Amino acid sequence: MATLSIKDVRKSYGSVQVLHGVDIELEDGGFLVLLGPSGCGKSTLLNMIAGLDDTSGGDILIGGRSVVDLAPKDRNIAMVFQSYALYPTMSVERNIGFGLEMRGVDADQRKRAVDDAARLLQISHLLDRRPANLSGGQRQRVAMGRAIVRDPELFLFDEPLSNLDAKLRVEMRTEIKRLHERLGTSIVYVTHDQIEAMTLGTKVAVMKGGHIQQLADPRTIYERPANIFVASFIGSPAMNFLPGRLASSPSGVRFAANGVSVAMPAGKRQVDFDRPVILGVRPEELKAVARDEASVTGVIDVVEPTGPETMVTVQVGEQSIIARLPPRFAGRRKEPIFLAVDPASVNLFDPDSEQRIDI
Amino acid sequence: MTSSSSRYLPLRALGELSETRYWMYLLLLPSLVMILLVIAYPTLYGMAISFRDMRLTRPGLDGWVGFKHYAGMWSDPVFWIALKNTVVWVTAAIVLELALGLLAATALNRDLPGTKIFAVLILLPYFLPNVVAGHMWALLLDPRLGVINDLLVRVGVLETYKAWFADPNTALAATVLVEAWHGFPFFALLLLAGLKSIPEDLYRAAAVDGAGVSAQLRLITLPMLKTVIAAAVILRVIGLVNSPDLLLILTGGGPGDATQVLSLYAFQTAYKEFNFGYASALSVVMFVILMIFAAAYIRLSRITKGEGDD
Amino acid sequence: MQLNKRQFLMGSAALAMAGRVGGARAANAISYWHHFTSQSEMTSLMKIIGSFQAANAGVAVTQENIPNSEYMAKVSSAVLTGGRPDTAMVIAERFADLTAMEGLIDLTERVNGWQGKANFPENRWTGLSSNGAIYAVPAFAFVDWMYYRADYFEEAGLAGPPTKFDEFLGACRKLTDPSKGRYAFGMRAGAGGFKYVIDVMEAFGSPIVKDGQPAIDRAAAVEAITFYSDLFLKEKVVPPSAPNDSYRQIMEGFRTGQTAMVWHHTGSLNEISAAMKQGNQFSTAPMPAGPKAHVARVAYAGNGIMKEDNIEAAWQWVSFWGQTDAALTLLEGTGYFPASAAALQDQRITGNPIYNAAVETLKFGRLPNNFVGAAGWSENVVNPAFQSVLTGQSTPEQAVDRMIQGLEAALR
Repeated sequence: MATLSIKDVRKSYGSVQVLHGVDIELEDGGFLVLLGPSGCGKSTLLNMIAGLDDTSGGDILIGGRSVVDLAPKDRNIAMVFQSYALYPTMSVERNIGFGLEMRGVDADQRKRAVDDAARLLQISHLLDRRPANLSGGQRQRVAMGRAIVRDPELFLFDEPLSNLDAKLRVEMRTEIKRLHERLGTSIVYVTHDQIEAMTLGTKVAVMKGGHIQQLADPRTIYERPANIFVASFIGSPAMNFLPGRLASSPSGVRFAANGVSVAMPAGKRQVDFDRPVILGVRPEELKAVARDEASVTGVIDVVEPTGPETMVTVQVGEQSIIARLPPRFAGRRKEPIFLAVDPASVNLFDPDSEQRIDI
Repeated sequence: MTSSSSRYLPLRALGELSETRYWMYLLLLPSLVMILLVIAYPTLYGMAISFRDMRLTRPGLDGWVGFKHYAGMWSDPVFWIALKNTVVWVTAAIVLELALGLLAATALNRDLPGTKIFAVLILLPYFLPNVVAGHMWALLLDPRLGVINDLLVRVGVLETYKAWFADPNTALAATVLVEAWHGFPFFALLLLAGLKSIPEDLYRAAAVDGAGVSAQLRLITLPMLKTVIAAAVILRVIGLVNSPDLLLILTGGGPGDATQVLSLYAFQTAYKEFNFGYASALSVVMFVILMIFAAAYIRLSRITKGEGDD
Repeated sequence: MQLNKRQFLMGSAALAMAGRVGGARAANAISYWHHFTSQSEMTSLMKIIGSFQAANAGVAVTQENIPNSEYMAKVSSAVLTGGRPDTAMVIAERFADLTAMEGLIDLTERVNGWQGKANFPENRWTGLSSNGAIYAVPAFAFVDWMYYRADYFEEAGLAGPPTKFDEFLGACRKLTDPSKGRYAFGMRAGAGGFKYVIDVMEAFGSPIVKDGQPAIDRAAAVEAITFYSDLFLKEKVVPPSAPNDSYRQIMEGFRTGQTAMVWHHTGSLNEISAAMKQGNQFSTAPMPAGPKAHVARVAYAGNGIMKEDNIEAAWQWVSFWGQTDAALTLLEGTGYFPASAAALQDQRITGNPIYNAAVETLKFGRLPNNFVGAAGWSENVVNPAFQSVLTGQSTPEQAVDRMIQGLEAALR
């Protein structure tokens, strides 16, 4: 049974529509990430799930029960806010137990639940402090403690890591993943960080302009992006895009552009030769090879060794692409470079609709 | 190096002084002098007068009398009535103003269409000088022409026009209401500023946690406004204790001594009887009471401890 | 804007220099403090200033209006801290306090050498003199009298206005009809009400001060307070709002027909005449006589000089008020009675029957009590003491005791 079903949910403020008919199903124990740039509608969608914003149309079901007419407190959810939203005048203990207190849980039971949650999050020693006396990471843990102590049907996370520094962010990301695996409760998680989306989500909804661009597992999103927006939003450095044409050759269909000739895998569909297409190649799918094995030929522009790998910017005809090469790559600026591409890893997009073309 | 001929020009010397660290003190000097002149000197002078006999109409009567005026207060029934009235009047007015101010601030904080205009309207009473507000309400509550009497009779609350300020049972209450009307925008303004500084997320979190409107008010809004409320209450108490003008216009302390308060009593003693010695003693007592109140209040509301809002 | 230090210093020096230039005033400009407020009072004042300046080219009068209730506070502050005006209005009730605080300059010599002095009978000077020295030139008089509704009296079958307190009480009973919202007497017990409380006490035979000593006759005073407060408490011939009713309220009550009689002075004649017809609707009468004395106040008000700087010009101004033309300008504008006997002979007064009661009152009227501290005692003790009787917070005996104690404290 799905924990969360979002059915044709719409939202508009006056005449401005910010969500256009969103449909999402989240399986029990799943981890749904709403990913997109700011203004894409992901936070609005989360607030509508929480009941903090009204829906303008459609239905939201949690645990099979429609909740659109219920107050936030009656939806059996818990939420972690970007600002943590800890009550400054209360101790950590009371902050964590506040939801239980409001639900009339008696003091003993509350104390036990808070202690359990605190132990799980390793903040037992902080229970008497006030939020102002905590570090950012500690506040984050308290905010999560406040959510898990309630044992809800669904957790909602609104960009929970964006106020932390880079190192802590990685640590807490791992923490959230561990927590999810341990508790098994479904999570809806809003972020604009594609790494968080990839590492945490069992299902990622990439959003833009109030539309879901692609809803799939992270691997599919990464390897088979539905359109150029998704392809460019996910991955760092971003996917390389090369405009060119499909042409027939003795060995089959090839993608051809200035300095590029890539053999396409044999497809089931009829290929429309000579049509303009955009080839998408991830930087790590490019390999430096000898001249006769090359499908891409270019000139080295910039070489950036990062330690585990070397980022090489290559000028190919009019285009500039990035290849992620092994650490000890020896090429130098202005030298020619020859690159090979695994045909199975490439993506083709329609230059007009920017949608993926499967061949 | 500067040439020795121009060295001793006063401006040059000043210019050189300005390069030293004494310059800072020199710049502070004017404000220090002003403070000593317009605050410290009158305060201390006023306190000194309270230990002297000083009646403007008796130029010959002058001299130190120790605690005579303070001892006189002890056996002055009007002083005790005025003290009691001051406490009642200020407490009632503050409670009402705080409640109305909170209500208004909460309403204004909602950013609904039209709240901007509403905000200006709500602040209007505070823009009126006490004297204008006093005369306006004297007319509104007038026993013959008063609009409020007219309304109450029409609605059926009253049978005939009531002389609110002529009855000791209603005079103080009526003046409290006028004061509350006049003073609540002060609280509304400060509380609104306080409310704006409370993150919206706290209320969203509370809504998810299951806190209703009253729990949100009690457990989030009020604790977070504590510092603002404490500051506003202290300022307002000081203002109310010290300003007799509204009562002077509405009742003059009457009927009998039903609305006599310390500030008005001191004012009348000074400017009707010209007994500045006794009036100063009354003022010193008010000063001491206010100091004790402020210290106790700050301690009680624990606003100086660093347990606050970050 | 960024100033460098040198510019800052130069600028400060320049400002300091500039400050010395202003502030000097034309030599013959004099200031005048008064507590005229109404439109008619101000118009008359401006007329008098106009004719004064026409007659005395080169003397300019700057008038400053101070609300009556703040007048003494402002004047005493000016005496205490400096900043006195050249000249100021002095009413009889405040004369003792003003001279006691050495606020006025002795004008005896100038007055004695002044040709206008003969126009003022001796009693005009009494209220403005202290220990034989004259401190102000009389200008006008407030003559206390009674306004009554002639039509209500006729309706109630009353032949004429009451001349004695018992007739007054009888008339009050007949004129009161709460069902019509009508009360006989607009008692003033709010601000300023002490005046009539003291009048009634004297009318019952209790003096206030004799030879500078407290002289209240407790029994007579209690009788007086009982009689006067009973009008409100027992007889209920007074509007219920009386404890807080001041000038504005009693005038409203009379003008709107709520009350049939009010006690006030000649100064409100214009205001009442504007609201109703002289003769048919309202008329005037002398105050009724008490069992022991017939009391009505005649308070001469004048103008005094508060500092020496421009004393010649100041004298020109204060003595100008003593001239018949100035007095009649004020009478026509405001109804304030002239202090000058010469002006009283003017046909505009003798020919108008409404003034008869005032002319009559001038024959027996008394000056207001004139002792140091009178104003403070009246306002701070007599008023609340009497109010507390009206509101049932104290008995007449307690109120009189409070008055006696307050008077002793004031004179001590």
